[in-house]
Amino acid sequence: MWLGPATLLILTMVVWPVIEMIRTSLTRVSSTGQSQGFAGVRNYTDLFAEGDLPGVLLRTLVWVVGVVTVTLVLSLGLAGLLNSRFPGRRLVRWALIVPWASSVLMTALIWRWMLNNFYGVVNRLLMDLGVLDAPVNWLAKPGLALAAMMGVAVFVSLPFTSFVLLAGLQSIPAEVYEAARVDGAGPVRGYLGITLPLLRPSLVVAAIINIINVFNSFPIIWAMTRGGPGFATDTTTTYLYKLAFDNQSVGESAAMAVVNFGLILAVVLVYLRVVRRQEDTA
Amino acid sequence: MKRHLACLAGGLSLALALTGCGKGSSSDSGGSDGRTIRFVAAKYDDDTQAYWTALIKDFESANPGYRVNLEVVDWEQMDSKVKTYVQTKQEPDILNYNKFSDFARDGLVHKAQDVVSPKVLADFLPLFRQKAQYEGTQYGLPFISSARMFFYNKDIFAKAGIARPPSTWAEVEADAKKIKQAGYIGLGLPLGPEEAQAEFQIWAMNNGGGWTDASGTWAIDQQANVDTLTYLRKLTKDKVTQPNPETTNRKDVFNQFAQGRIGMLNGAVFMRKGFIDPVDAKLNYGVAPLPSKDGSTHKTLGVQDYLVAFKKGDGSNKAAVKKFLDFFYQKENAAEFVSTEGFLSVTKSAGEVLSSDSRDAAYYKPFVDALSDAEFAPTDDPAWAAVDGAVKQRIGTAVAGGDPAKVLDEIQKTAQKGD
Amino acid sequence: MKLRTALLTAVGWLVALAFLAPYAEMLLTALKPTPELMKSPPSYLPSRWEWSNFTHIWSLTDPRVADALVFSLYVAGAATLLALAVGLPAAYYTARHSFRGRGAFLLLVLVTQMFAPTALLVGIYREMVSLDLTDTAEGLILVNAAFNLPFCVWILNAYFASIPRELEEAAWLDGTGRFGALTRVVLPLAMPGVVTALVYTFIAAWNEYVVALTITSSSNRMTLTRAIPGFVTSYHEQWQYLFATSLVSIVPVVVLFVFVERHLVSGLTAGGVRG
Repeated sequence: MWLGPATLLILTMVVWPVIEMIRTSLTRVSSTGQSQGFAGVRNYTDLFAEGDLPGVLLRTLVWVVGVVTVTLVLSLGLAGLLNSRFPGRRLVRWALIVPWASSVLMTALIWRWMLNNFYGVVNRLLMDLGVLDAPVNWLAKPGLALAAMMGVAVFVSLPFTSFVLLAGLQSIPAEVYEAARVDGAGPVRGYLGITLPLLRPSLVVAAIINIINVFNSFPIIWAMTRGGPGFATDTTTTYLYKLAFDNQSVGESAAMAVVNFGLILAVVLVYLRVVRRQEDTA
Repeated sequence: MKRHLACLAGGLSLALALTGCGKGSSSDSGGSDGRTIRFVAAKYDDDTQAYWTALIKDFESANPGYRVNLEVVDWEQMDSKVKTYVQTKQEPDILNYNKFSDFARDGLVHKAQDVVSPKVLADFLPLFRQKAQYEGTQYGLPFISSARMFFYNKDIFAKAGIARPPSTWAEVEADAKKIKQAGYIGLGLPLGPEEAQAEFQIWAMNNGGGWTDASGTWAIDQQANVDTLTYLRKLTKDKVTQPNPETTNRKDVFNQFAQGRIGMLNGAVFMRKGFIDPVDAKLNYGVAPLPSKDGSTHKTLGVQDYLVAFKKGDGSNKAAVKKFLDFFYQKENAAEFVSTEGFLSVTKSAGEVLSSDSRDAAYYKPFVDALSDAEFAPTDDPAWAAVDGAVKQRIGTAVAGGDPAKVLDEIQKTAQKGD
Repeated sequence: MKLRTALLTAVGWLVALAFLAPYAEMLLTALKPTPELMKSPPSYLPSRWEWSNFTHIWSLTDPRVADALVFSLYVAGAATLLALAVGLPAAYYTARHSFRGRGAFLLLVLVTQMFAPTALLVGIYREMVSLDLTDTAEGLILVNAAFNLPFCVWILNAYFASIPRELEEAAWLDGTGRFGALTRVVLPLAMPGVVTALVYTFIAAWNEYVVALTITSSSNRMTLTRAIPGFVTSYHEQWQYLFATSLVSIVPVVVLFVFVERHLVSGLTAGGVRG
């Protein structure tokens, strides 16, 4: 009875669409979206025949691993900073909240605006500082654009992650540090030997939530490059959208969505297993 | 345990009550009385919604008992919206869109003759009417049109020492270099996803190329198209265009032209209203025919958008749809939309209204004249939707890293798959 | 020690600056007059401070910013309440009882967390059609509540688990009854967790874009996220209004956040430790 409403909500709003999607991936769908009967695995074979797919998969891997790793490392630093006492700490915490409170879409749009080749303030600033001689078209070259978008993805992931880690830091009792100091542990050894291991549960949670969010992230790439030029900055999430709405192959897109889910499930399970194994050996 | 249940039930009903009260004012869409229709209009700019709201009000007061439920959808969201509507059988009664042929192929839409009076049907300019047919029958109702001309900044031309707008590709290249030396962007070349298909077609058809061969079969990989891309690639490599045409959208170059940073580009009729006037109404620019390879003929690219009427179950919506469409196509109403949005008319009567009383007639005249022998995108081919998507994604890469022949080959494959 | 504090302060303020800079640029852009927006190279500050941009957005008919604000508030608020209403009992029960199916339930929650609505758009839309919920606030509320439920359950579950059972039992003995113990002892103690779940869900629903885009279409049921990109179309671009409206939508949430920031950290503490 206690679980009923929650289960019902999840079953109707999440599981139903999933089943609907799996069904679509096995259906032939015309360009107007009319269903034309059972397709077998044709949508899947079509998908795997796409020349752009390997690049998209590889990029998704770089995107997820890169963004999550950088986010976690920077957040550790930020959490440490926010946990120390200094004047204005509260204001700094509030500033950190702003990107979290803003819609990712709007944050992506302002970054696109600032990085614009013609009227972007980033180019102006870097040229005034003497770093650049001529404007750089940040979002036009695939490598540069991907790096810029990963930067934005890190930017929007930092607040939540930092707060989770900050919460973790605050749950470590002060006595633990006292004991360490008595034992003569220096600050570095104290951090590596005590703080990090105790922070581990928070790190695991932050990592999993970030992996899921970053993997599924759509608005950043969509607003900034639309996955272009060509498919050169697409990840699986934007690619499946483009398959449906630009290439007009809804069935193939549904197949991509199924593959996408398989991937994220695999990533999270592998991650959890690794974490658990380490726990067992530790 | 009972008490928990009560508490839970209380909480749930609270939540449901909260969610329930949102429905209140919502109007019922798709009435079954055959007098209520749903119209999905595309948003051209901020004035679109106001125009339709006023028109519908007039229509409803002139036809008591009839209702039109309006939805205005951004162009950028239109494709996905339309697809979800069709896929889930939630089509509006009337849709304002830029494609119609795959609806016609799948038997989803009414024939034109069934939803407008013969008078309206005869009022469409033959050129547009012909482009609204699928397998010999007219399904699309021409709505607005736009034409492309070559825009050039006269002040920049004077500074670069160029006397008249270029007519051949060689002149375009030479002038672009001069403009670059004068410190501006020579040629605005938008091959980013927004409208790459139009930009490509403009250059290709003025080189004797295009989407199909003489017999009407897809010939995207033909030599003339490869040459076109090779030429554009050279302009890009010589840096006489704006940087990275493959990711530059049309509106980016229109904006920079309005800012006086670009010497010349293929412009569209609505550029004055949407881009130039808001920024600098005094910009000193001229409008010329689109340059061609050898300078002998100058074709323009025509674009038209349509209205289509979807079939609904028993066909009970037909009478109301017809009433509304006939109302819209009255010459004053149609003319007002065209002039509000800065487009060109698709009907004779509205065209006459516009050219007789508009002080803007001088600006629009070259576009109207050019339309008489315009070429269009093959929107009447059901495979066009897929080709259009593929071109938007891929064509730009041919002037950057990719190989023109290979890029065109990929798109040709998409076209053949769609047939 | 003084040096360390000075260093920390400097770094802290730099970090704050870095996080605020894009939104400062948003504000500056929103205050520029039209002809200046696309100037190349750009100016840092507006030549004329066009404060009227902020008043003008309220008078536009398409989109109607005020209506969108109210609608967004309603959808996000109701989705948050719904998620909490179904999430609280589920979290409490799984934290207090071990029962057959508990593992299955938690697995279901975890798997749900892995789905993003973006990947399920077509399925969601088809379902909304079957339920006759397209273009309704209810549809949006249900979807938003469902996709944020996992986080609520997870954080609340951890929080309830951290409250000693003895406290609750002591309250029973005092004669408050089970329900009384729940409302008078457990819930107040769990408040930071509730606040965290509430804020998280509200923000996610407030900022949700793709589902709103897909399942609602009429202009009187337009969320702010759906309204905002409409300022920039292929035929007309009004970045100043886009950013002005963005700021209008960001400010209330930041204020809400600032009020509950303290709770947030302790709410996440339990989640982090137990998760």
